[in-house]
Amino acid sequence: MYRVSMIRKELVAASAEPLILSLLSRSESYGYAIIQEVKARSNGKLQWTDGMLYPVLHRMEHRGLIKSRWGESETGRKRKYYSLKKDGKTAMVKHHEQWSLVHSVLAGLHGLEKAASTQAQTVVS
Amino acid sequence: MFNLEKSIADWRRQMLAAGIKTPVPLEELESHLREDVAQQMKSGINAQRAFEEAIQQIGKADMLKKEFEKADGMKVALTLKQYRTIMVACLGVESLFWATCLLLKVGNLSEITAAQQVSGLAAVAVMILLAGVGLLGHGPFPVGLIRWATDLICISRGRLLALLWVCFFCYITEPAGFLFILPKFDRGPLWIMLPPAGILFGFIGGLEKAGMKKTAAAAA
Repeated sequence: MYRVSMIRKELVAASAEPLILSLLSRSESYGYAIIQEVKARSNGKLQWTDGMLYPVLHRMEHRGLIKSRWGESETGRKRKYYSLKKDGKTAMVKHHEQWSLVHSVLAGLHGLEKAASTQAQTVVS
Repeated sequence: MFNLEKSIADWRRQMLAAGIKTPVPLEELESHLREDVAQQMKSGINAQRAFEEAIQQIGKADMLKKEFEKADGMKVALTLKQYRTIMVACLGVESLFWATCLLLKVGNLSEITAAQQVSGLAAVAVMILLAGVGLLGHGPFPVGLIRWATDLICISRGRLLALLWVCFFCYITEPAGFLFILPKFDRGPLWIMLPPAGILFGFIGGLEKAGMKKTAAAAA
């Protein structure tokens, strides 16, 4: 999970579960596709180490947030699909609330900081 | 000349040797590896480079094993918590059932004397005490026995249901049958039945705490 140079590994680790839950809320998916989608949506800034995604998925499955089934890929290869469970949906909503709260506080502070710096520049000039 | 299938087979052997289990999670990791290799080859990268890049992305076997062990550890902890709750419930039902039968002198207990009644209630109290000792993780059980029991009962929910059925049959329905069928049923069988039941409830219900205590003691 900790391959990214741009984003702190603690943040990458903390955001893994909400991201996985959100992706699976849209549709069933599998490991490789989840990694590729996160990479694409973050313009390459969020790159998960492939091998570390699976322990996270397994932990979430043991906690009853997601479930899995073996299916087949387009080429006939075996592939494990994951989907969201009811408890996972509840957990996802909680994550969204918490992340939205943090984001709103940070955005608010950033806005205040910006306003203060603009004011200071006006006074100086 | 690079042979992709042979390289994947070698990688599988290394993973198995490092302790990554099959089919879960090794089959899933292999599926991912093949998918990654195929995608890279589609974009023009040769098989060898694609394979090397893909196994690097998956990560080293020892790190993966540590992460999966953490995930498995959580699974066992959750199941042991469930067993604890169930054993406490069984203890509660068992205690209530026999205390009620003794106090109200139900069935074949209708002619027991006061001394016999007290003796029967004492058997119930001893059951609760023995269960309490086990549930708090204070049981004198060796680490090997704790680990064996944890592995045995945590394999599937089927084992949990089987245990529940055994508890219900051995400690409720069968004795309840004796209460109303045998001509005489007094506190003797209760002393044979209830204390061992207490030890069983305490042992199974206390596996989580006992395991944690032994681990902490070993670490110290």
